[in-house]
Amino acid sequence: MIEAQALSKRYGAKTAVDAVSFTVQPGKVTGFLGPNGAGKSTTMRMIVGLDSPSGGHVTVNGARYATHRAPLREVGALLDAKAVHTKRSAYNHLRAMAATHGIPNSRVKEVIDLTGLGPVAKKRVGGFSLGMGQRLGIAAALLGDPHTVILDEPVNGLDPEGVQWVRHLAKGLASEGRTVFLSSHLMSEMAQTADHLIVIGRGRIIADAPIQSIIDGQGRARVRVRADRPQDLLGSLAGDGVTSQVLEPELIEITGVEPRRIAEIALRERVLVYELTPLQVSLEDAYMQLTQGEVEYHSGDPAATPDSGAEEPASIATSVEKGR
Amino acid sequence: MATSTQPAHAERGSHRPRTSGPGVTFGRVLKSEWIKVTTVPSTVILIISTVVVMVGLAALFAWSMSLTAEALSDPDFPAEFQAPAEGPGSPGFDALMAPSSGLIFGQLLIAALAVVLIASEWTTGMIRSTMVAVPRRTPALLAKTLVVAVVAFAVGLGSALLSYLVAQPILRGEDIDFAITKDGVLASIINTGTFLALVAIISMAIGILLRNTAGGVVTAVGLFFVLPLIVQLLSGLADWIPDAARFLPGDAGNQMVSITTLEGDLTQWEGGLVMGAWALILLVVALLVAKKRDV
Repeated sequence: MIEAQALSKRYGAKTAVDAVSFTVQPGKVTGFLGPNGAGKSTTMRMIVGLDSPSGGHVTVNGARYATHRAPLREVGALLDAKAVHTKRSAYNHLRAMAATHGIPNSRVKEVIDLTGLGPVAKKRVGGFSLGMGQRLGIAAALLGDPHTVILDEPVNGLDPEGVQWVRHLAKGLASEGRTVFLSSHLMSEMAQTADHLIVIGRGRIIADAPIQSIIDGQGRARVRVRADRPQDLLGSLAGDGVTSQVLEPELIEITGVEPRRIAEIALRERVLVYELTPLQVSLEDAYMQLTQGEVEYHSGDPAATPDSGAEEPASIATSVEKGR
Repeated sequence: MATSTQPAHAERGSHRPRTSGPGVTFGRVLKSEWIKVTTVPSTVILIISTVVVMVGLAALFAWSMSLTAEALSDPDFPAEFQAPAEGPGSPGFDALMAPSSGLIFGQLLIAALAVVLIASEWTTGMIRSTMVAVPRRTPALLAKTLVVAVVAFAVGLGSALLSYLVAQPILRGEDIDFAITKDGVLASIINTGTFLALVAIISMAIGILLRNTAGGVVTAVGLFFVLPLIVQLLSGLADWIPDAARFLPGDAGNQMVSITTLEGDLTQWEGGLVMGAWALILLVVALLVAKKRDV
């Protein structure tokens, strides 16, 4: 379990992490999601004491990381795949790490097998691909068979097979009752791995909830309706926050009304409805809505003015067309 | 924490760390640092270079001493250029310095080794792995310093002994070879090791403070090699300059291995204390800074 309370980190005038409080529970995978520069890595570095907080505090399994007698047995952390001397072999790196805790060499060989490093274990780390570096970082994190596992962007640089392996690993560790905390800036990755999400933007927590409730809470209900007189239905539905789009003469998409309410109105108006499909809002949509305005580095839209981030898709389409 | 407070996961396994399992001890950190020092190629390369350079210089030194002695024994040699036949300044006496004669370059190589071993932790990012495994920074850095100091001592002692052995046959030709039991010789050999250990500690401190290999090596070389030269050039400007120069680490260190003590020079012990004070102060400053700083 990881508990942060009013945790802050300032670098001069810039606040990287702004009084965040959260708890990472054991037994599930908690995703730490946020755009680049949102403060994910800084928060994780403070958890293991590499950076000291400017304010607040954070504990792991009930105590500050540095006060644990056997830190590697409490927490395994992959913070930076390249936190390894490039001239040393992977095996020797792990052996040196293990020696600090008296972890036997048999465990070193175990984590090498577990992470698939066997063929390159005796080679110098400097020649490793990013993916191999990640595997070595994960191997180091697992050395102490820790109760809490912290992985910062673990799938970076991994091939599809590796990505899947990390997913299974994270879920497996959580199902054994461990605390698993992994960060990513990729919502698609989180959707497949995490049970719970902590979303951070510009150093502040903007959501902390089970993944399903983030999807439900952010996406307003969107329903696809096939009816024989859609215009009549829409006329009665019109109201605050209700938008609709006519896709085909008899096919519309309605946002902002629950499916049951649509059915009720259809019944009252005697409109024949032959399809009523609630549409899933993707985590990606939810994330984009959550982090709007929290992204530190916006990519400029070549066809749009700088502060027109919330432009209607249609107008972007027209301005692109004008540009042609 | 009790899994019973997590009903949703109660049926899942509840992994607990083996609380009886081994934790971090200073001895284990030492072992880890020993593994780290011995598993990078730069250690082996620099240690071999140090031994070769020191023993090679000792052989050259012995050879030049025997040439001087040979010239002195030549009856045609002009009397006004003659060195004293015995006592300080005579080839037979100066030859006693053979075991530590390679020190001037040996200290530079050991300084480079120490800086490389510590600063590369930062340049490669290894320090983050180190500090996650051993979050108490003072013992972590002390362990590495101790390991490198012991290695430096062993290299210095070994090189001085080898130098002694290599010099003897060369000196024997002119009958100026000497026994290891002769006054001050053994102390000079041992102090060659002690001096290099202290050089290593000072260089480690510089490496910790600068966190940069190139900058650290330049600073250490500057302190041990360039600064004494500059001070020597400036010594005519004021009387206090040569007085102060005796307390520079390089100069004080040289006194640690010298067999004669000239008027006004530090003795072996005083040289050792001055050098030790440099090492201690720099190390304490470096450890305090490292404790405060983000990794």
